Amino acid sequence: MKAVGQNIPHDSAVGHVTGEALYVDDLPPTQGEVLVDAIASPIAHGKLLGNNFDELRELPGIVGLYTVSDLPGHNRFGVIIPDECFLPEDVVEYVGQPIAVVAAENRRALRKAKQLAKLEIEELPPVFTIEEAIAARQFIGPTRTIQCGDFEAAWNEAEHRLEGVFHCNGQEQFYLESQAALVWPNEEGQILIHSSTQNPTEIQQVVAEALGLNFHDVISVCKRMGGGFGGKETQAAIPAVMAALVVRHTGRSARVAYTKDDDMRSTGKRHPFKIFYKAAFTAEGRITGVEFDLYSNGGAAADLSTSIMERALLHSDNAYHLPNACFRGTVCKTNLPPNTAFRGFGGPQGMANIENVVQEIAITLGRDAYEIRRLNCYDHGLRNTTPYGQVVQHHILPEILDRLEETSNYQERLQEIETFNRTSATELRGLALTPVKFGISFTTRFLNQGNALVNLYKDGTVQVSTGGTEMGQGLNTKIRQVVADELGIGYEQVRVMITSTEKNNNASPTAASAGTDLNGMAAANACRAIRERLAEFAAQHLSDAENGCAAESSCIHFGDGRVWDERRPNASIAFAELVKLAYLERISLGERGFYRTPGVDFNRDTGQGHPFFYYTTGAAVSEVRLDRFTGHLTLERADLLMDIGESINPGIDLGQTIGGFIQGVGWVTNEELRYSNKGDLLSYSPTTYKIPNIQDIPDTFRVDYLQNPNHQVNVRRSKAIGEPPLMLCLSVWMAVKHALSCVKPGAIPKLRLPATGEKILRCLTELDGSTSRTEEEIPLIAPSPLTTEPEPKRAAA
Amino acid sequence: MRDYLLLYVNSTRYEIRGARAYQSLTDLLRYDLALTGTKVVCAEGDCGSCTVLIGRPENGAIRYQGIDGCIQYLWQLDGRHVVTVEGLKENGRLHPAQEAMVESFGSQCGYCTPGFVMALAAMLEEGTPLTRQGIKDGLTGNLCRCTGYEQIIDAALSLKGKSVTRSAERYHNPQMLAELEACAQDSVEIAYRESWGREFRNIRISIPATVADAVAFKAKHEKTVVVSGGTDLSVQMNKGKVEPDTLLSLVHLRELEGVSENDDWLTIGAKATWTDVEHAGSESLLEFRKIIQVFASPQIKNAGTLAGNIGNGSPIADSMPFLYVMEAEVELTGPSGSRWVNLNRFYHGYKQLELRPDELITTLRFQLPETNETLKLYKVSKRKDLDISNFTAGIRMTLDGERITQPRLAYGGVGPVVLRLPKTERFLSGKLLTRDTIQKAGKLARREITPISDVRASEDYRLQLAENILLKFYHEVRQEQGWPQPNTLSA
Repeated sequence: MKAVGQNIPHDSAVGHVTGEALYVDDLPPTQGEVLVDAIASPIAHGKLLGNNFDELRELPGIVGLYTVSDLPGHNRFGVIIPDECFLPEDVVEYVGQPIAVVAAENRRALRKAKQLAKLEIEELPPVFTIEEAIAARQFIGPTRTIQCGDFEAAWNEAEHRLEGVFHCNGQEQFYLESQAALVWPNEEGQILIHSSTQNPTEIQQVVAEALGLNFHDVISVCKRMGGGFGGKETQAAIPAVMAALVVRHTGRSARVAYTKDDDMRSTGKRHPFKIFYKAAFTAEGRITGVEFDLYSNGGAAADLSTSIMERALLHSDNAYHLPNACFRGTVCKTNLPPNTAFRGFGGPQGMANIENVVQEIAITLGRDAYEIRRLNCYDHGLRNTTPYGQVVQHHILPEILDRLEETSNYQERLQEIETFNRTSATELRGLALTPVKFGISFTTRFLNQGNALVNLYKDGTVQVSTGGTEMGQGLNTKIRQVVADELGIGYEQVRVMITSTEKNNNASPTAASAGTDLNGMAAANACRAIRERLAEFAAQHLSDAENGCAAESSCIHFGDGRVWDERRPNASIAFAELVKLAYLERISLGERGFYRTPGVDFNRDTGQGHPFFYYTTGAAVSEVRLDRFTGHLTLERADLLMDIGESINPGIDLGQTIGGFIQGVGWVTNEELRYSNKGDLLSYSPTTYKIPNIQDIPDTFRVDYLQNPNHQVNVRRSKAIGEPPLMLCLSVWMAVKHALSCVKPGAIPKLRLPATGEKILRCLTELDGSTSRTEEEIPLIAPSPLTTEPEPKRAAA
Repeated sequence: MRDYLLLYVNSTRYEIRGARAYQSLTDLLRYDLALTGTKVVCAEGDCGSCTVLIGRPENGAIRYQGIDGCIQYLWQLDGRHVVTVEGLKENGRLHPAQEAMVESFGSQCGYCTPGFVMALAAMLEEGTPLTRQGIKDGLTGNLCRCTGYEQIIDAALSLKGKSVTRSAERYHNPQMLAELEACAQDSVEIAYRESWGREFRNIRISIPATVADAVAFKAKHEKTVVVSGGTDLSVQMNKGKVEPDTLLSLVHLRELEGVSENDDWLTIGAKATWTDVEHAGSESLLEFRKIIQVFASPQIKNAGTLAGNIGNGSPIADSMPFLYVMEAEVELTGPSGSRWVNLNRFYHGYKQLELRPDELITTLRFQLPETNETLKLYKVSKRKDLDISNFTAGIRMTLDGERITQPRLAYGGVGPVVLRLPKTERFLSGKLLTRDTIQKAGKLARREITPISDVRASEDYRLQLAENILLKFYHEVRQEQGWPQPNTLSA
């Protein structure tokens, strides 16, 4: 039986449920191990003047305290723009930024040192918001543009026009396992790092650079993460460097494990966006042109912000054909922790904006938003070229929408809900059906490569290692299945081993939903090479030349743990037996496989090209209920439908679909990052930062998949699933907007994202006209010196 | 009198002495015992990753309940049996909850999984109904960031009808039972000097066996920190905000545990847990039970006590608006006896209590509402379940037709303490329950409160809620009474 397509449990499931699965901070201490933590900046922007570090060094239990001057190598890092310091030289740029690294014999001393630390910092004027950064012209990288057609002409000729500003806030990844690293000294100055990272290769590189070592002096490994979601793509670097620095100075092993509070305060999150939009459309609702000016809050350093902005621009069309479009994206530099990857990587913000625009077009025209969505959706004819020039091919977007409209009873429910809203004094309900089209591949071309090592042992069992990391998404399980099928053996015969730079060098981060695509294909390629050698040997072994059956490797088949010649199927040999014989014949039983995604290419400067290998698509219908007195939101029902190709593991893919959707629901509803007016995150733990709880999932929750016979590429014709379902959550936010739009027909509710009860009530009160509240937030962040928001400088079209 | 704590972890007996008694259960498990299956994420009881089973003797057997290990310090666990995720397997075979999670894809990254497994095991111990809602209620205290919970619910549903070996059977050990039972009759004093460099402090941990001893200890030691359920104190300690030198643990005071109903009075012992209160039978407590249901997780409710809630004096304590409008009374016991104080007069200011240094809160009582009374409680929080409130309200009145008599209003989250609204109450008294009256009352209520903006909500939102909650009350009452509903769109 084939393993691919089966519901095989997660390969660590038994470890998970018994607590035997080990995470970095579960690894037992080695003799002499020291504990490491950071002395962090309490100030968002300031000049370092003095400290009491010499006193702290003398405290009992303190092994050492290190600052930037103790760093043997260089102090700058950043995968795209190397603008970030491991440790600040003279200026701190965000609250929570590590200033010094403390190493202690025990937790008590560590805590004491942190409590007793005194820092003299001269405060410099901070910038926290996008508005403030625009005013100060503080940007990271150049403004990027993607355009097609002639927006100005479309705008001038438009039957209808709409313009406004769309705000969406950030989101904390909230992986349950905080950032952690455990570093061991190896001989001759080499070191071994256990890091909770999506990117062991980058950890290897940054640690080597910070310590002035060569890459080959550093081994970086990751067995598993307790969640990543993008938050450990780059941001595992600082803790790893902290511990490595201590190892370098003490020669003792060193452990760092952030507390949840410190992790949330000091690491980056999903980028807040502010988007100025203009849309031209016909009376029928067809979009003739759009202009979007996207600004993201990048935080204090570039991190991945420019790539994230690129993906936001590349998803500003979502599933809609926009004949005339101009998207511009600018990253703002502020004094918050550098914002970073989070599931969707800019896609959610880009899509949320266009979905909001479509919703407002519907309100303006007094039509149902789904009608507008269906009308503008990419089709199979001429309306399928994206603004960046890639043609959306082999897709079934219209079919998904039609099917979901039917299976969710969209039209009947819409009627019923709108009637309800006209009569209910206490509640409002809302319904929305939104599509998702998510491009698969890294938009940075060179990252689209992967390698795998397959070792076959004499008993016929297999160990596979890839550069991909396991963070719960089921990568290892899928690789196990792919490898089992390639070799025609049971999946139990295959183990996926710890990810290590020693085995798989120069790997890309496990990100962009491409983990299985890249590493699965690399593993399959390795297996194929081994299989070819085995087939050649088996052909000899199974041939029967006397009876006219000459050795012919193309006739050899592998399956169900056996190997046979198709001409003599009864004379099969057990796979394990064949392997043993092959070993004795000195046939290589290991292989390193390599894969690069074919065809992807995108020109950043022209904003044109073919950035994606294919698209994962889907749609969702969500129904919400709002309390008119408190603004409280209940998600009553959700129906999800996706095209995920041929699933390698349906149980895992279902988990990705539901988990992604609910994570997105958190972003659009109750997950609210609140800062003090000093840039200090106030909602830094689950007491104040509310991710979805089990009671928040809808009572009626249906998930289904639609077959797409046109999808013929990728590993076992599967599709990437990690990120796309998250964006199905936009249906929930749009349903809230729909509900609010029923209060005063034609009036556009000024709803921000996330739609907390407070914001919903504010909208309701505004629409009812019973208070004099302004439409702007009442932010905790102190008002900027500017009383009005500056308009962004618009480039000439 | 013992100078050590006695507890069992899985199959092993431990005597904990000196400074080792001054730590959380999860620190003991992870650092001293190398039982790293139990995870710590938030260290504040909001994520449930640290869920373990705590067994304590009850009617000749050991009763096991799920609690958050990170906010149980060891002085709360004298005489307890702790079962961790490592102790769930039996003869190498997975526990049904573990098996179900594997088969239903209930784990992804796996970090929250031991906590979920233990919460599921706790549900099986307690016989929680395995309906979709029952499962959600049982798992409210566990956060998962990966799965979106559906496959965990599938796992729980698949446990229906499965035979389960309960911990009482799995760990059946008459000697352990006898020893744990004897523990509760015993008192414990642990005293030691802790030094760090040239600094030192004298630590004293007392676990008295009687209320009299507890009061005597408190009278003798100024600055005693009293620990009942510890669900708030332990958080403060985990976050380094407090580090008490003198601790008085009430863990052995079983005399304060009961909930009883007599002559229309409900009497709740100070040590009764929220689980005990939630299960107290009376029909007339339905409205209160709704609040208890959402305000905390099973793990917190199994640990947290009513006395802790009262003694902690939070202006947003979810029980307060109810207890205020019920005119509940607390019994304060000191060396010279006890006195009763109406809760409405118990708080003088932010965390300022009418409680002398030598007194303990020992009992709470109130008269149950009459059947003809209207009582409604509201809790507005960002997330419905397991979230600290933005705003709470208790509204109680008798309606004679549409005429309001004896209105009582209490709001929480709108000032330094939970507030009664005397002016609004006087205004409503004798009026007809009309939309106009309620709107006027709302404007008045706004002026009686002084909310602030904080991380949870803005002042503005809280003021608006102060008005709106009366309208919500009005609409709900009209609906329940079968009076015609006005249409807000035109109203």
